[in-house]
Amino acid sequence: MVSNSEKYTEKKVKRSMSQEKRNSIAGYLFVSPFFILFAIFGLFPMLFSFYLAFFKWNGLGEMTFNGINNFTIIFNDPIFWKSIYNTVVIGLLGTVPQLIVAFLLAYALNAQALRFKNTFRVAIFMPYVTSIVAVAILFSIIFNSQSFGLVNSILGVFGVDPIVFTQSEWGAKIAIATMIFWRWVGYNTIIYLAGMQSISSDLYEAAKIDGATLSQQLRYITLPMLKPFILFTVFMGTIGSLQIFTEPLIFFGGNLREEGITVVAYLYRDAFENNFFGTASATAIVLFGIIMIFSVLNLLITNRLGRGKARKA
Amino acid sequence: MKKLWKTSILAGSAMAILAGCSSDESGSGSGSGGGSETIDMWVFGTTGYEELAEKYMEENPDVKINVQSTEMGDHHNNLFTALSAGQGAPDIAMIEVGEIERYREAQDRFANLYDLGAKDVQGDYLEWVWNVGQSADGEFMFGLPTDIGPTAMYYRKDVVEEAGYPTDPAELAASLNTWEAYSQFAKDVAEKTGKPVVDNAELIFNAKRDQADEHYFNRDNELIVEDNAAIREAYDYTVSLIEEGAVGNMPLWTPEWGQGMAEGSYATLLGPAWMQGVVKGNAPDSDQWMITTMPEGAGNWGGSYLTISEESDQQEEAYAFIEWLVSPETQLESFKDMGLFPSTPATYEQDEFINYTDDYFGGINTAAVFAEAAEQVKDVYKGRNYLLVQGEIMTALNNVLSSGGDPDKEWDDAMERIKQRLERE
Repeated sequence: MVSNSEKYTEKKVKRSMSQEKRNSIAGYLFVSPFFILFAIFGLFPMLFSFYLAFFKWNGLGEMTFNGINNFTIIFNDPIFWKSIYNTVVIGLLGTVPQLIVAFLLAYALNAQALRFKNTFRVAIFMPYVTSIVAVAILFSIIFNSQSFGLVNSILGVFGVDPIVFTQSEWGAKIAIATMIFWRWVGYNTIIYLAGMQSISSDLYEAAKIDGATLSQQLRYITLPMLKPFILFTVFMGTIGSLQIFTEPLIFFGGNLREEGITVVAYLYRDAFENNFFGTASATAIVLFGIIMIFSVLNLLITNRLGRGKARKA
Repeated sequence: MKKLWKTSILAGSAMAILAGCSSDESGSGSGSGGGSETIDMWVFGTTGYEELAEKYMEENPDVKINVQSTEMGDHHNNLFTALSAGQGAPDIAMIEVGEIERYREAQDRFANLYDLGAKDVQGDYLEWVWNVGQSADGEFMFGLPTDIGPTAMYYRKDVVEEAGYPTDPAELAASLNTWEAYSQFAKDVAEKTGKPVVDNAELIFNAKRDQADEHYFNRDNELIVEDNAAIREAYDYTVSLIEEGAVGNMPLWTPEWGQGMAEGSYATLLGPAWMQGVVKGNAPDSDQWMITTMPEGAGNWGGSYLTISEESDQQEEAYAFIEWLVSPETQLESFKDMGLFPSTPATYEQDEFINYTDDYFGGINTAAVFAEAAEQVKDVYKGRNYLLVQGEIMTALNNVLSSGGDPDKEWDDAMERIKQRLERE
């Protein structure tokens, strides 16, 4: 009898232990789809690209170890440095005016006096949902090199000779930056608008009673309260502009010229047009480093601003 | 216990979905549901091969062929990925002539068609077309040639007439039988009509280039472009026309290029046979376009090869099908139905071919013009980095054309960039 009941309790304990174990297994199984997907489509390609950066490989033949030669090759390539320069210049041209305009648009959309608010909001957000390829094709027509291109014919009115946009140092950059501006300005406007709507109207009312002008309200209430939103858009804008790719590719119609080639376009050309996967991976790693540096810089600035705010409070 | 089963089934099915993603493409051979095995075939563009496969299956009831057509860029990317991974490639894959170069050293991914009987049909095809499909040493055959794109001179009757030249195809060809004469013609066109003689720098350079015996690489895949006088000559010739103001700045496939076709903004278009469809599409109402032979020979632009993958387990059945599909008789069908220009000279002797006329191009036998061109194309080895070199030379010419670059400096810079980029190989 005694031995029997002992056995029974022992069994019970064993079962409850394994039940716990089972639960944890079930838990892992439930979260596994994400990790499996991430491992196959995220982690593996990333690690493989690090590995490839030290090899020569054309995608079909043998991989041969190449040491740091891939890095030496790209660092000695003036076009590589040009592509970094282009990326930064196009990024600045496309992002800085965009964020300023987005802020002003959001402010206008948030104004009490404005009618048909929703229509305007939808209209401004619309470019964001447009296919990026359609945008690039549309803009290559606007920035057509012939005298009948939209921009060139406007310039013609002022007696300016038609610009061959694809072959002009600044023409190409401005054209690409305009595409980025047009596509992303609505997205940032909506974010700023959401931020502005979260600011309590009490603050504005109090400021009005104290006799603050519109520009004072903007400067001392809207801007500080929007800081987290502005930081977010700057952060995303920085990373986004370091990855500019589709616009130059379609704008140049295949033959990527040095006037507008970006880092990602540069590595795409190596990898998928010429199958030089080694140098393409090396470029990707350098780009990874650059993005890291910018992100850390952003983070440092964010922390500092946050601290400043805390001290004031 | 039941719960555990349920959860593992759930997770299992998630994994199955994942696995499904990768095995979807690799249906090669295994995709049959009993009965005869399916031969998978990947093609691009409008080939009409779906209908021809139906016809073949009617004649051979024990064969099942599944033709899958994709857009050209995606098609080649998918194929490259599958071949690179070593699994997932179809039994038969169509590869464009420019794309086949990158597989030159990847013989282990393809079936050698010489082992499947390709030697027996070699004589049916134009020699230069055949040679592109085989390895540099001639031991390995990658694919059977489908159609080709021999080049000729398209011209606008109105512009030619205004420049004071005969508009009859034979007479015009006779008066423009050398590049020197063509150069004079360019001057006359510019002077009398104010229009450029060609649409852009690319096609005139290509036309001259295609008449050289060697281009950018030799058969050992060594870069020879810098010392190749013929290529430099093609470059200089293009530059001389640019300096005359005889070269337009309407890059291929841009809206202004198509519009120029409709309006007659340039005198000649040095294009391949399949450009007929492009001209008709861009200038549907024009009755001014005509076709004649180019000065001093012809080149080739386009065409494809049908390859069989190494991993296919029905190489013989697949080979039997493609041998039939690109035989002279079937190529005549493809020519009639889809305008694919045959790579088999025997087809040029057929009545349907000899009596072919095209009302759009003044009722002349356009097929005969291209057939003559096809026989003149040079057998040139291109090499896997051909397009890289071509791209840099085009950059140089475009700089001369629209940014007023110094031709010698642009050439030197292009050579420098080419060498820099080829270090990566």
